[in-house]
Amino acid sequence: MSWRSILLNRFVLVPGAIVVAVVLWNVYVATHNNGIVTGRVVDAAGHPVADATVGLWIFNFTTYEEKERVKTDADGVFRFTNNPSHKIQISAEKPGVGRSQRLPVFLYFRSQDTELAKPLRLAGAG
Amino acid sequence: MAIAVEAARPRGKALVRHRTRRALLLWCFLAPSLAIFLLYRIIPVVWNLVLSFQYWSPLAEAEPAGLDHYEDLLTDDVFWQALWNTLIVIASAPIGIAIALVLALLVNADIRGRDVYRTIIFLSYPLMTVAVAIIWRWMFDERVGLINYVARSLDLIDKPIPFLNSFTWALPSVIVANIWQILGFYMIILLTGLQNIPHELHEAAAIDGAGALHRFWRITLPLLKPSLFLAFVIGMLNSITSFDLVYVMTGGGPGRATEILVTYIYKLAFVQTKFDAAAAVTMVFFVLLLGTAWLANRLAGGNVGAAETE
Amino acid sequence: MQRYPRWPIHLALMLAGFVMLVPFYWVLKTSVSGENIYAYPPSIVPRGAHLFYYVDVWYSIPFARYFLNSVAVSAIAVAGNVVFNAMAGYALSHGFRGKDVVLLLFLSCMMVPFQATIIPAYLITGRLGLLDSWLGLALPQCSTIICIFVFKASFDAVPRSLIDAARIDGLSEWRIIWHIMMPLSKAAIATNVILAFIWSWNNFLWPLIMTRSADMQTLPLGLARFLSYQEDTTGALYAFCIMVLAPGLLLFLLAQKEFIRGLTSGATKG
Repeated sequence: MSWRSILLNRFVLVPGAIVVAVVLWNVYVATHNNGIVTGRVVDAAGHPVADATVGLWIFNFTTYEEKERVKTDADGVFRFTNNPSHKIQISAEKPGVGRSQRLPVFLYFRSQDTELAKPLRLAGAG
Repeated sequence: MAIAVEAARPRGKALVRHRTRRALLLWCFLAPSLAIFLLYRIIPVVWNLVLSFQYWSPLAEAEPAGLDHYEDLLTDDVFWQALWNTLIVIASAPIGIAIALVLALLVNADIRGRDVYRTIIFLSYPLMTVAVAIIWRWMFDERVGLINYVARSLDLIDKPIPFLNSFTWALPSVIVANIWQILGFYMIILLTGLQNIPHELHEAAAIDGAGALHRFWRITLPLLKPSLFLAFVIGMLNSITSFDLVYVMTGGGPGRATEILVTYIYKLAFVQTKFDAAAAVTMVFFVLLLGTAWLANRLAGGNVGAAETE
Repeated sequence: MQRYPRWPIHLALMLAGFVMLVPFYWVLKTSVSGENIYAYPPSIVPRGAHLFYYVDVWYSIPFARYFLNSVAVSAIAVAGNVVFNAMAGYALSHGFRGKDVVLLLFLSCMMVPFQATIIPAYLITGRLGLLDSWLGLALPQCSTIICIFVFKASFDAVPRSLIDAARIDGLSEWRIIWHIMMPLSKAAIATNVILAFIWSWNNFLWPLIMTRSADMQTLPLGLARFLSYQEDTTGALYAFCIMVLAPGLLLFLLAQKEFIRGLTSGATKG
């Protein structure tokens, strides 16, 4: 049997392709699981809000528990660096500007580095 | 070549020694398989038989019990319900075979893409029965099941039927799921049988003026008897042992409406730890199985080749 | 030959195919969108498809462990099947004193379904100290009669002159099996592997009885436990179903011919 016929045999090709895909996926996961979650906070008008408190909630069996809080910088950008989970919620508030709803974020693997596509909107005063 | 073989053949006493050595070696080759079957098929049957005539529990010594366990079975309502349900399930096998026969005849016709159809219909057989049970459990669901939705859309019923929770609908629902899963297997067996019928027979009969239905009754069906018998035995074995499906779909409920002998054996032995009573039920189960196979053999007209599937 | 219209046949077969495939599609749909668990009426096309139920299944249950157990048990069962059945098939393709007794024994074993042996099998495995182990899980499945007959039929087809020539060359019986018979029986090996794998992968009752600790459970067991814990309140259950069905489906689609051939040939006396 030539090398070619062995390689193109469906019993080698399909499992081989699966193994390659698994390896590639694991490499991707290993290089992207630093637990970084970033995003922006804006107010009702769409302007970035500096110094808002952003909370990270982690799913724990049946409920979400708050784990960490950071503050947004001057551009309204916040950054968590220690997310250990794949199912989290983010909420933001700033006294005087409002609070946002808790935004659920679903990740594909634990501690996936992610950047929120839509900014957190603060609404309602207080 | 032949001369060299001849010259190398041992003669006389050497032949006997050689033959014995060879026989010993062949027995050694058989040994592992034989050991497994001995350990897990033959000894268990004997052990079950002995156990059914004893009082025994894992903590106590065995004591002879005579026919006590069997007498208890006679008054055990659950046993009779399980036996009845098992008989119903066995009796449902011909329904599946009939549907599969129609499908096999269709797939056997000269159409394009028959392999695709064959694959699609057979797809359900190699699946994990637990997953199939979960799927069908949900399809039969009262609130969100697909079956209820279709029936209500077609105005067949007004209110949703609680299939798996009703005493009348639970067992038929399990049977439907079972037939869905094994339909492909029946079809493959019947297809093989159909393809073994020589074309010339049909052609000759057609030339002689026999209609399609006539040809079916007089040529196809009789020649298909071995395959039909095989399908029935396999179907019977499959349905009589469908523990996975019943356990996951209904757990034997509601009440005992879907309890079959196998689930009852499991519950007696491993939930109530009554190994001796369960052994008695197992013997009844085994006798039922052998009896049905023998009956089917007789109906098919004598010794039509043994067949099985694990 | 009579001519008859083809389209009714296609229609009927497509209907049958539809009935067979609808459950798959339905489960797939729910596993990616989580509808139809509470919603009524159900929708045909999934709204808002996402893969996060699969992530849930991976992390919230020990899927990797169950998968490993299933793979290990199936690997042992397949290896045992190929080796033991080849040996037995080779022995049965020769004549020897007592061969008829052995054949009768095997055929009678075929009529004993596994469910009739669960109690003693459990007790025997307990006495052997193999409860809760991969070997104990795989052992009853390490040899099957159908597969022995598949090998026997394949070995019977090898010309005797080949075997005789090998014997003259001094090969021992063992090496004859592995160097001559097996390479000529690739189809039988494939059939053996597939049948043994599928039967051991799907086996539910034996692991249910045998395993004591949660981390020796196999996939079917894990699936049933997930159902009993979570009921059917989450799309994760159906994602689990799909993850569990995928290897079996994939293997079947890869090796259809061998699978069907094994079932139909094994269903007639070898």
